[in-house]
Amino acid sequence: MSSIRKISILLIISISLILFFLGSSVYYFLSNYSYADFYKRLEARVSVAEKYHFESNQKDAQVLKNIRDEHLELLSNEREYILYCPSANSMKQLADKNSLPINFLTLVYTQQFANYQKGDIFYHGKKRETPKGFYFVIVSAKNYYNTHHLILLKKVLLAGGLISILIIIYFTYLFSNYFFEPINKIITKVNSISTDNIHLRLDENKNSVEINRLTTTFNNLLNRVEIAIETNKNFISNASHEFGTPLTAIIGEADVALLKDRTSVEYKETLQKILKQSERLNKISQSLLFLAQIGYKENKLNYAILRTDELIMQAYEIMNQLIPKNNIEIDFDLLPENPKKLKIYGNKELLILAITNILTNACKYSSNKPVVVSLASTNNQIVMIFKDQGIGIPESELPFIFDPFYRASNTAAYDGYGIGLPLTQNIIKIHKGELNISSELHKGVTIQVKLPVAEL
Amino acid sequence: MLNKILIPIDFRIESLNTLKYCLEERKQEKSTVVLMYSAYSSDSITELLFYNPAKIIEALVSPNFTDAINIIKNKYESSLHSFKIELFHGLDRNAFLNFYGAQGIDLVYLPKDYCLKPHKNGFDPIPLIKKSKVQYREVAWTRDHDTNYKDELNQLFK
Repeated sequence: MSSIRKISILLIISISLILFFLGSSVYYFLSNYSYADFYKRLEARVSVAEKYHFESNQKDAQVLKNIRDEHLELLSNEREYILYCPSANSMKQLADKNSLPINFLTLVYTQQFANYQKGDIFYHGKKRETPKGFYFVIVSAKNYYNTHHLILLKKVLLAGGLISILIIIYFTYLFSNYFFEPINKIITKVNSISTDNIHLRLDENKNSVEINRLTTTFNNLLNRVEIAIETNKNFISNASHEFGTPLTAIIGEADVALLKDRTSVEYKETLQKILKQSERLNKISQSLLFLAQIGYKENKLNYAILRTDELIMQAYEIMNQLIPKNNIEIDFDLLPENPKKLKIYGNKELLILAITNILTNACKYSSNKPVVVSLASTNNQIVMIFKDQGIGIPESELPFIFDPFYRASNTAAYDGYGIGLPLTQNIIKIHKGELNISSELHKGVTIQVKLPVAEL
Repeated sequence: MLNKILIPIDFRIESLNTLKYCLEERKQEKSTVVLMYSAYSSDSITELLFYNPAKIIEALVSPNFTDAINIIKNKYESSLHSFKIELFHGLDRNAFLNFYGAQGIDLVYLPKDYCLKPHKNGFDPIPLIKKSKVQYREVAWTRDHDTNYKDELNQLFK
């Protein structure tokens, strides 16, 4: 069920329930009140009748009659009974004669006065004792108010309730359409976006904060998707370029060599050039394979508890062999006192490879200017910071530097083919770490690697 | 003996260098540190009614700042007995001396070259502290004079 329908049904049901309770309580209390009120009116008539018949002389009787005629309106079907009852046994006879309910007479007899209702006729009676025996003073009448007004009220309440429910249904329909229309708009717009027109973005809706958040979320997602697609395109062009350059060199060399007969020395020279380019090709394809493998080999890796300071020292020794002229400075100033906070759970070879990769880049692109490696640890993360003073990375190219084969525009003078950094990032990623890079052009690059502290 | 040290901060990582050098100097003894952030108190009645220093501090602390504090805490685990962050709303010398007395401070450490860059509603309390004639020490560190200032964890490192 769509949420529009759900919301409207919920709203309609709850409002109808409220209306129902309101209507029925109005009806219930009003009818209760009308009964009590009617008995009171009967009671007044009974006491006037009693006074008139038993307590007044001729003059008072006239006054009472006037009062009754002037102030007590005649109820519909009003009847007055003054019944003489010599003994309790004659009650049955009395009742039959005046067509009064015998139960009512018994009630009056036992309780002195009583209310009674039979059908739509209401009775109020009182027992009056005299020396000769006792009398029943009874007034009966039809409750006109009850039969007419309450029925009208019932009709009004029912009709009003039905009409308001209809109005509510109409309004919930209108409102839900009004609120869900922007969502429908978003759906159609998002549906229309495909790889061809990925640059399209949703329009912001200023009227609703929630919808606005939804559109910005979608737009951010689209931004990321666009970057991913861009990355893919870049990868293909970069890869074909990387593979193409040595291949062109090989083809060119071979072509030139085949133009005419050459001496064996010349052939040897050509073959050596071809061999060099083929080795380069081989290296590229191998590192590419390695890069791809790390992604899915994750569960086959050998994990162990390692100390990060030892990893850095081992990487430093490797660097001394690879680039003897390096200028790496290791800063353990902020090393935690507790060595447990330096331990991580990971694969030693891969982590050393990642660190040496970062250090090689730092040395290479700074032409062996000082590189500072710092190590520290927060409560749950180990922080490694690599600072160099090299050529830096242009800010506009920072989002792409983790793409395989991507090389920043200012690196033409340096050897390399753009595999190291993506490889490093993959290694950090499978260790559940983070790699952040910040850079200022011509000033250097700062790489911050965060790895989770091993839980011992 | 436990020393209570006051360090003014601006919730930027670079200002924590004062803490770092202070603890480096006092490695041999145990210290309690009060990091003080100075801000003007609000003049809105509703804000004063719902005044909650913990909330104000929480809003100012960035995840990187917490990381930086944890790094220092881990480094000087044995000499740093405890630390807390306090808000200071006073404007004159007496208010500062009151704060100084109430917190039971023994010594103030100030950055020598670094100028606190407080956030909105904050102010730099260093001139006030220097004027208050309390005992203070200044520490200096080499700074890269960045034109575009970024609040990054590496400002704590060399």
